[in-house]
Amino acid sequence: MLLNPLTFHAPKTVEEAIELYSTLGEVRLLAGGTFLLNSLKLLKKRGIKTPQHVISLRKISVLQGVKVTGDTLTIGAMTVINDLFSSPHLTDNFAILRTVCRNISTNPIRNMATVGGNLTSRYTWTEMGAPLIALEAVMHFCGTNHTTESITVEDFFKNFAKTEKILTHITIRRDPAAALAYQRVKKLSDVDVPLLAVCIRTHFNDGCFTRTRASINCTTSFAKRDLVLEEFLNGKKTANGIAQEALAHLDTSIYDTRSDDYKKSMFRISIKKAIEDLTRRGQT
Amino acid sequence: MIFHVNHKTYEVDLVGHETLLEVLRDKLGLTGTKTSCMESECGACTVMIGGKGILSCITLAANVAGEPITTIEGLADGENLHPVQQAFLDYGAAQCGFCIPGMIMASTALLTQNPHPTREEMEYALDGNICRCTGYLKIFEALREAGDKMSQLKAPRESALYQYIPAVSSTP
Repeated sequence: MLLNPLTFHAPKTVEEAIELYSTLGEVRLLAGGTFLLNSLKLLKKRGIKTPQHVISLRKISVLQGVKVTGDTLTIGAMTVINDLFSSPHLTDNFAILRTVCRNISTNPIRNMATVGGNLTSRYTWTEMGAPLIALEAVMHFCGTNHTTESITVEDFFKNFAKTEKILTHITIRRDPAAALAYQRVKKLSDVDVPLLAVCIRTHFNDGCFTRTRASINCTTSFAKRDLVLEEFLNGKKTANGIAQEALAHLDTSIYDTRSDDYKKSMFRISIKKAIEDLTRRGQT
Repeated sequence: MIFHVNHKTYEVDLVGHETLLEVLRDKLGLTGTKTSCMESECGACTVMIGGKGILSCITLAANVAGEPITTIEGLADGENLHPVQQAFLDYGAAQCGFCIPGMIMASTALLTQNPHPTREEMEYALDGNICRCTGYLKIFEALREAGDKMSQLKAPRESALYQYIPAVSSTP
């Protein structure tokens, strides 16, 4: 067998799942399984103890689906990447998520992996963090005794993606005036591990960048904003050459400093391309 | 636990830690689904659940009990191959053949939804299936032919796949 013996649980409600999650010891939540199953196999191979219990969230229908209520997009935590990709609700600022989804791993993985799993798996390089920080998304959790908690994606990753609760959904406010750009650098190997994801959201006011949020995902740290880049861009005219100039204003502490010159160069090219993309739109 | 595989119903005793790949091959004898990388990289273990291609090596069997599962064995109708299988033969799209069950399942999932995919859509749909022999060109040609045949059947897209599956329900 590929995995160590475990007890499988398939609750049908969030309440049941929380009850199990809070009472069982040595337990892991199963969303799409694309991280968990491989990590359980690896632990077994290395002779490391694996969790005794796995709680699947697959049968909890309220955790699935994408909907718009008023100006708010709600993404169920168990929504699979390809379902988010094909959602008709991805318009205005939400549309950037289609680009993000399209670039995640491979098609069977996109058919299995969930948005919630991508955010909460605690791998630093998962892709959803950067765009959802740029979009000022909020994560909503359920805990024991019906307690709920809402936290911005930015704060969630500042806290190293730690939680004892179950993520139920993510919300994003519609912002038709926002312009967004997304770039992703992937490792050239059989395993699709993104080295960098950068998402920049801005607004244009009199041909200038305003209210800019630039967020970065890197292999060595959780998704976070590049405040130095944001400060540089805000108030700047969308002139040609601004992207090149911006490269001298990056918070270099948040990038993968272990990387070789090629990767560092690719990071800079991606950030430059994202800013150039926005500059073009700001000029029209 | 009850499994619905290729329109047949199976009752299988599970401990809980078995992957779908292990159940299909070791407990149900459906060895068309291949064991290869076992870490979600190669696509050789692709099966369809609800019309979507998924990787059985990273799927806990218990997690998909009761859901409609289709494997490579479920595509042909007796002696009549599914159009995707026939096109792979006609176009020489298989060489060593090891990746082909997964490749055919991923292709069938695509063509059932979209019988006339562009080259880009084919590449996107098959990006999780690795073939070390063919170079993919003949596979894409086979997909074009299979898609044409599937669309000529004039069936609703969502049920196109099931025309080729004999409606059998039994417990072996």
